[in-house]
Amino acid sequence: MTVSALTRPGERDRLIVKLSEIDWLFVAVLTLIAGAGGLMLFSIAGSSWTPWAAPHLIRYALLLAIMIVLAVLDVRVWFALAYPIYGLGLLLLVAVAVHGQTRLGATRWLGVGPFSFQPSEVMKIGIVLALARLYHGAGAQRARLSWWLLIPAGMIAVPVLLVAKQPDLGTAMLIALTGTVIVVLAGLSWRVIAVGVLGALAVAPPFFMFVMHDYQRERILTFLHPENDPSGTGYHILQSMIALGSGGLLGKGYGLGSQSQLNFLPEKQTDFIFATLAEEFGFVGCVSILILYGAVIFMALRTAYLSHSHFGRLAAAGVTATFALYVMINGAMVMGLAPVVGVPMPMLSYGGTVMVTVMVGFGLVQSVRVHRYAEVTSGKGTFV
Amino acid sequence: MTQPAIFFEEVNERQGVFHRRAILLGAFAGLGLGALGGRLGYLQLVETQRYEKLSASNQFNFKLLPAPRGLIVDRNGAVLAANRPNFRLMVARDKGVDPEATLKTLAEYVPLDDARQRRYLREINAAPKRAPVQIMEDMTWEQFSALNVRAPELPGVTADMGEVRVYPHGGAFAHVIGYVAKVNKEDVDAAGPNPDPIMLHPSFRIGKQGVEKAFDVALRGKAGAQKVEVDANGREVRQDPNGDIPAVPGKVIELTIDADVQLRAEEVFGAESGAAVMMDCRTGDVLCMYSGPSFDANKFVRGLTGAEYRELALYERKPLFNKALTATYPPGSTFKTMVALAALDSGYDPNTVHSCGKTWAWGGRVWHCDQAHGPQTLHTAIATSCDIYFYQCALAVGPDRIAKVARAFGLGQTFDIGIPGQKPGLVPDTAYKRRVFPKDPVWHPGETPSMGIGQGYTHLNPLQLCVQVARLANRRKALHPRLIKSIGGVEQPAGSSFGDLPFKPEHLEFVYNGMGAVTGANGEHIARATGFGQADLGLGSFLMAGKTGTAQSRGYGGGTGAHGAVGEWSLRDHAWFICFAPFDNPRYAMSVLVEHGGFGASAAAPKAREIMRVAMLKDPEITAQITKPAPLPEVPPAERNQDDLPDGPEADPIPTPGQPT
Repeated sequence: MTVSALTRPGERDRLIVKLSEIDWLFVAVLTLIAGAGGLMLFSIAGSSWTPWAAPHLIRYALLLAIMIVLAVLDVRVWFALAYPIYGLGLLLLVAVAVHGQTRLGATRWLGVGPFSFQPSEVMKIGIVLALARLYHGAGAQRARLSWWLLIPAGMIAVPVLLVAKQPDLGTAMLIALTGTVIVVLAGLSWRVIAVGVLGALAVAPPFFMFVMHDYQRERILTFLHPENDPSGTGYHILQSMIALGSGGLLGKGYGLGSQSQLNFLPEKQTDFIFATLAEEFGFVGCVSILILYGAVIFMALRTAYLSHSHFGRLAAAGVTATFALYVMINGAMVMGLAPVVGVPMPMLSYGGTVMVTVMVGFGLVQSVRVHRYAEVTSGKGTFV
Repeated sequence: MTQPAIFFEEVNERQGVFHRRAILLGAFAGLGLGALGGRLGYLQLVETQRYEKLSASNQFNFKLLPAPRGLIVDRNGAVLAANRPNFRLMVARDKGVDPEATLKTLAEYVPLDDARQRRYLREINAAPKRAPVQIMEDMTWEQFSALNVRAPELPGVTADMGEVRVYPHGGAFAHVIGYVAKVNKEDVDAAGPNPDPIMLHPSFRIGKQGVEKAFDVALRGKAGAQKVEVDANGREVRQDPNGDIPAVPGKVIELTIDADVQLRAEEVFGAESGAAVMMDCRTGDVLCMYSGPSFDANKFVRGLTGAEYRELALYERKPLFNKALTATYPPGSTFKTMVALAALDSGYDPNTVHSCGKTWAWGGRVWHCDQAHGPQTLHTAIATSCDIYFYQCALAVGPDRIAKVARAFGLGQTFDIGIPGQKPGLVPDTAYKRRVFPKDPVWHPGETPSMGIGQGYTHLNPLQLCVQVARLANRRKALHPRLIKSIGGVEQPAGSSFGDLPFKPEHLEFVYNGMGAVTGANGEHIARATGFGQADLGLGSFLMAGKTGTAQSRGYGGGTGAHGAVGEWSLRDHAWFICFAPFDNPRYAMSVLVEHGGFGASAAAPKAREIMRVAMLKDPEITAQITKPAPLPEVPPAERNQDDLPDGPEADPIPTPGQPT
């Protein structure tokens, strides 16, 4: 198919063309990461497909199919559904606050028949869509500095507060940061950014002292001084760093990581799977995985860069930001650079929720790529 | 007319801003990933050795394996302290272990009544997690194997085989060897700031007395370690035999003791209280060091109950006390050998005659003898142990010269025999009075006659008296006792490697002969010789010489009192006998003390004879001269029936019994 053929009107609406426009290299890199996750899950289960490796890979395959379906879904459908999804997310968060399931002292789950899920995950996509939709109709001046900015600020603040109240500080922070990244990308004045950063620094200590729950405060204190509590909360960080450090350049060998195989590593199949990988494959393995993550971020960001619609740009960039934040926070936590916050490594960690969010997000990114020339015109800059 | 919501320039502007900031975001992401990579490099490349160590200490535990404790054997290799296998049962608290139910189950296999179950349940709950608490010891093989079969279904239960110290002879050697027992806080404190970690091992036992204590480190050996891989919960996952560090067994300690001699001493003493020490008077080797009554050291290994301990500690014959080393007694008439030698050494004429009429008035008071011996010379006075002769002899010599001689014979001193607990006792002289009695620093002349018969301030222990008689029998060497023959095969210096006695041979010969006259071993029959008849060991011409002693354990109030084995036990006299044999060519010297036994000749000397007999019979050179082997009739090989022989090429020749080999 020649480039000229693609300029023919209607040509890009054909399914086969759409499929060919998907970034298959991107898909390949994602598959490599998920495969590495399966490999590690197989290892830590004692060379067994159950209970983690097989479900992980099957789940990835299903979600890959969903991602492709979402990729060929017209970006204008995404556009039209942006506010409804955000609204649904808000509604669910309120429902959680009123009628949620409480586990381990946190009210995060909503029951639907036999299943239960976390509405905060819906909001991770919802905030990206809604802000992209909002900014799509806003001029550069408004986005830079105006009273209008209170609208996006409110749109971020409401879900963040609802999630923080659950309490789920990790997810709240993720939503807040994702929203902030979109607001900044949309062209927020540097002066506002500077004031915001200074303000955040000023607010942090009282927030730490008075607003945080004890366990959250303890996590941060432990992170700062893990050696004070080597068998309690500091244990996780310490054992993770031992796993990493003892991996050395080439690792202890596949299936031979003593830290993970003998259960010294906590949450080895979810939050600390990167440490397992680091122990068994060493520095070389870790850097390879980080390069793959870098490639994912770069390709997704490039998709945002090349989109002709502002909605597409911001939506793709927002999803990328969410993904990058996941990688950064989990990586920093595993390496002892951040407190233990319960953020998994996307695609690598076992666990359905995050993978659903990320793959749906990437479905959106690919939709933006497939429909990068499509005109998204119905934006009026206000709520519909 | 509809106004476009966004003007074209604005669209371009916001696209431009987005593009610039998207690049910035990409740069940030790259920076973040780079930071993670840098951190990984630091942890995995720079700090990796530190974390490898931490990981290995997570993964592997070394379980201490106590080394087998060194054996203690006698001079012929007979085992005096050994180790025997011990099947133990232990329960540890752990996740998923219900100690109460576990104990109930165990009660089906081993005797565990409700009271003990409750006690152990408390102990288990008080112990740290996974620290095993010993429930049973010395299980039978049946109990052990039944439990081992069930072990996989009983989490937290371990049945293993350890070693426990055993003293096969029970009490006979308890004071020499001592015993081992559980480590207590004082032992750990005494070990200094870095105690051997094996001391904290639950099955480790430390030497508490005697050889076990003095040579504890040598006997202990070096603990090994078993390398085991453990998971995060501390459970053993697998063993790594290649990583094991083998234990170095403790050294064997060989004593100079002859078990047969000492066992005979134990028999001879029976329930009597006292001590018997025998030395080889050519080498100084201690062949016997018995203190009676003794106690079963095995009971200390497993731990005494309060009642058992009180029974031992409160018994008036003091079984826990080593009377051979730790107790001092007035030597009584045995000390007259020293007075005689001091007299000769200072030029006293041995033919000086003093007449004994049972009493002797001197210094404003009346001095007693046990009977009227008539006229006595120095030689006959030794044989009859005439007090009145020695009162005057001592006065002629003076206390300082007597003390000098006594010290030359090892009295009043301690010897380095390797085990603790020796009391030096006292040999008094004028300097002693000046030093200890500042208010009355004068040696009164009236104190000298008492010293002359081994009473007064003089207090000595049985080992010293044995050294004394060994030197008297040797007549040349200032022998030292040696108790430890070898440690881990390394021979210890002999007791004969010391200088000569600083006395004229004829003077030494005189006292030696005097002791022969006591028992008649030298062929003399002196009237009223105290030990007459004790020379005969029933071994033909091998005779025993000696000197009796009957020491007052209290004042008699004017010299009138009941001697001998009459009256309240704790008020009776101490009976002494120092002796050596054979008289012609002395090999063995011995001191025997029978606490509150009465007369030396009747209480101590017969015991000495019995013990000495065993030592003589154990001596191959002596037995070779006693038993004349009857040669078997020689049968020429050709006449033997060839069919009776085995098919081997050459049958061993029939050994001829009785031939020394």
